[in-house]
Amino acid sequence: MSAFAAYTIIGLSLGGIFALAALGIVLIYRVTGVLNFAHGAMGMFSTFVAWQVFYGYPHPGMPSWEVTAEAILAGLGFAVVLGLFLELAVFRWVRNRPQITKAVITIGVLLTLQSAASLIWKNNQYHLPIYIAPQTSTFMLAGVPIGANYIVIVVAALGLAFGLAAFLRGTAFGRAMRAVSDNPTTAALWGVRVDAVGAVSWVLGSVIAAIAGILITPFINFDTTSLTLLVVDSLAAALIGGLVSLPLTVLGGFVLGLLETYPTIWIQSLGLPRLIALLVILAVLIVRSPRGLPGVAK
Amino acid sequence: MRGNAWRFAAALIAFAVLARLPVGLDAGFQFDAALAVIWAFGILSLVLLYGYAGQVSLCQATFAGVGAYGAGMTVASLHGGYLLGIVVGVLFATVLGVLVGLPALRLHGITLAMVTLGIALVFDKYVFQDHLFDWFTGGAAGWQVSSASLLGISVDSSKHLLASYDVLLALFLVCAVLMLNLHSSGAGRRFRAIRDSELAASTMGVNLTRYKLLAFAMSAGMAGLGGSFYPLVAGSVSPQPFWVFTSLQLAAIGVLMGVRYVPAAALGGFFMAVVPDVLTRYGHGTFLNRAYEISFDWFQIAVGVLLVLQLILLPDGVWGDLRSHAARIRGALRFKRAGEVTAA
Repeated sequence: MSAFAAYTIIGLSLGGIFALAALGIVLIYRVTGVLNFAHGAMGMFSTFVAWQVFYGYPHPGMPSWEVTAEAILAGLGFAVVLGLFLELAVFRWVRNRPQITKAVITIGVLLTLQSAASLIWKNNQYHLPIYIAPQTSTFMLAGVPIGANYIVIVVAALGLAFGLAAFLRGTAFGRAMRAVSDNPTTAALWGVRVDAVGAVSWVLGSVIAAIAGILITPFINFDTTSLTLLVVDSLAAALIGGLVSLPLTVLGGFVLGLLETYPTIWIQSLGLPRLIALLVILAVLIVRSPRGLPGVAK
Repeated sequence: MRGNAWRFAAALIAFAVLARLPVGLDAGFQFDAALAVIWAFGILSLVLLYGYAGQVSLCQATFAGVGAYGAGMTVASLHGGYLLGIVVGVLFATVLGVLVGLPALRLHGITLAMVTLGIALVFDKYVFQDHLFDWFTGGAAGWQVSSASLLGISVDSSKHLLASYDVLLALFLVCAVLMLNLHSSGAGRRFRAIRDSELAASTMGVNLTRYKLLAFAMSAGMAGLGGSFYPLVAGSVSPQPFWVFTSLQLAAIGVLMGVRYVPAAALGGFFMAVVPDVLTRYGHGTFLNRAYEISFDWFQIAVGVLLVLQLILLPDGVWGDLRSHAARIRGALRFKRAGEVTAA
């Protein structure tokens, strides 16, 4: 029973990561129409920047929370620059191209980011994590100790999902983003600055990817490829949300996290979770008509 | 018929030239030459599937890998001849192609890209690496192929690498000519109709189920044919050459070179196998008193950046761009000649 509870907690926090990464994919897809296969690679690069600041340089006499904050700020700051650069240098110029062309461009971005990171940080596996909460602090929930870092992930996923939803519904800029996602031409006619909206969604998406990447470091041995390939699980979670719904995407992330974790109680296999993610993708795409997904052109 | 004769003549000349190229080079470059043809098969299979039939695939290296493991298993574990190994490899890849084609019946564009990326990842991390599939992959050690012969010719990697290169090259050129002929055949026209609009194609009476599955089966079989030579060329099989990033690279280089054109496959195969080796061999030294070293990562960065630039600037790919330039020059020459005739 306690093993089951422990696996549930691992599954939920893994699911929280998927949910976070998927939120960024959904945001960018809804507003700019780009299905971003490079989402994992973007998060990976920002995570490595944070990791470099955390472990790469000596921080004499600094309290550990300050080092953590500095690392996270560096990672997120890099994510802002990366998102802005991709929008300004690449995706602004292909706005009216077919959807699949834009998706293939993100594969070019993926290859570039992954190999640039592997050039800088080599193909080693890293397991020195960035802890948000101290590693030793735990909560007791129904007699089961839960590490505070697990709770941070779940709270971050839920908080960002609802924060993002509130931002899209409640603020003028959020309404502008939704207008662009419905119809860019009409939105432009009504005076919405489509360029600014595109830039903000790329920056937000990139930052969310970075948060997901930084939060996952305590739980896996990470390298430049494993974080890049996290995009497949995130796509599965995003598909459960139909590539539109933020709450359903978060739910999808948690469901996928649990589905991928429970079988490891009985079967030790590194590849099995990938099979489960693929089956979820297939199940969603075949059960729903593809035309049920918004903006998926024939 | 006249076009056909020209194509076969061009293929024969290409064979005579290309077969000579790696003669006398060291074993490393001879391996690159054979590998270039294997990846050219992978890109040619993408020309059929994406360029002709409009079906995106991010798992072409997986088809090649299944072909390689099928051939390796037949030769190393079942002690069959290598010819049988190739047949088994192509068969396995074709069956997988049909299986991947089944969900594709309901999917297009980005949803198909997601599914095929998932398939590439599952084969990379699960099928090629899990103990459950040791009968197929030979476990962590993989299959070793030390000596083999095809129809009496010794073609193993240790001493007769060039023989297997010649066989591969001949097969590739045959496939390339068949692909050129396919373009204007009935099936090719149906593929292109599906690419341009599935709805219009089915209205015109094209059987979508049959022709989509046919495209996937033929494409996977072609990638598997190239892959089934891998154990011969490399002497062993391992998951690494067929991992998910190879599939992404095949797609990237295929689109970069011009995924609608057959010659782009040869160009892409050469680019993918030979350029990184040349870079790592000669790309180190000192420049302005600073040591530098160009690794494989630089090659992949170049592929990514070139792909992004190409899709923004030259959407038809390198070969497509060359073709349209050539057509413009031909047109200008014809115009000039016509002017001379009227002046005289």
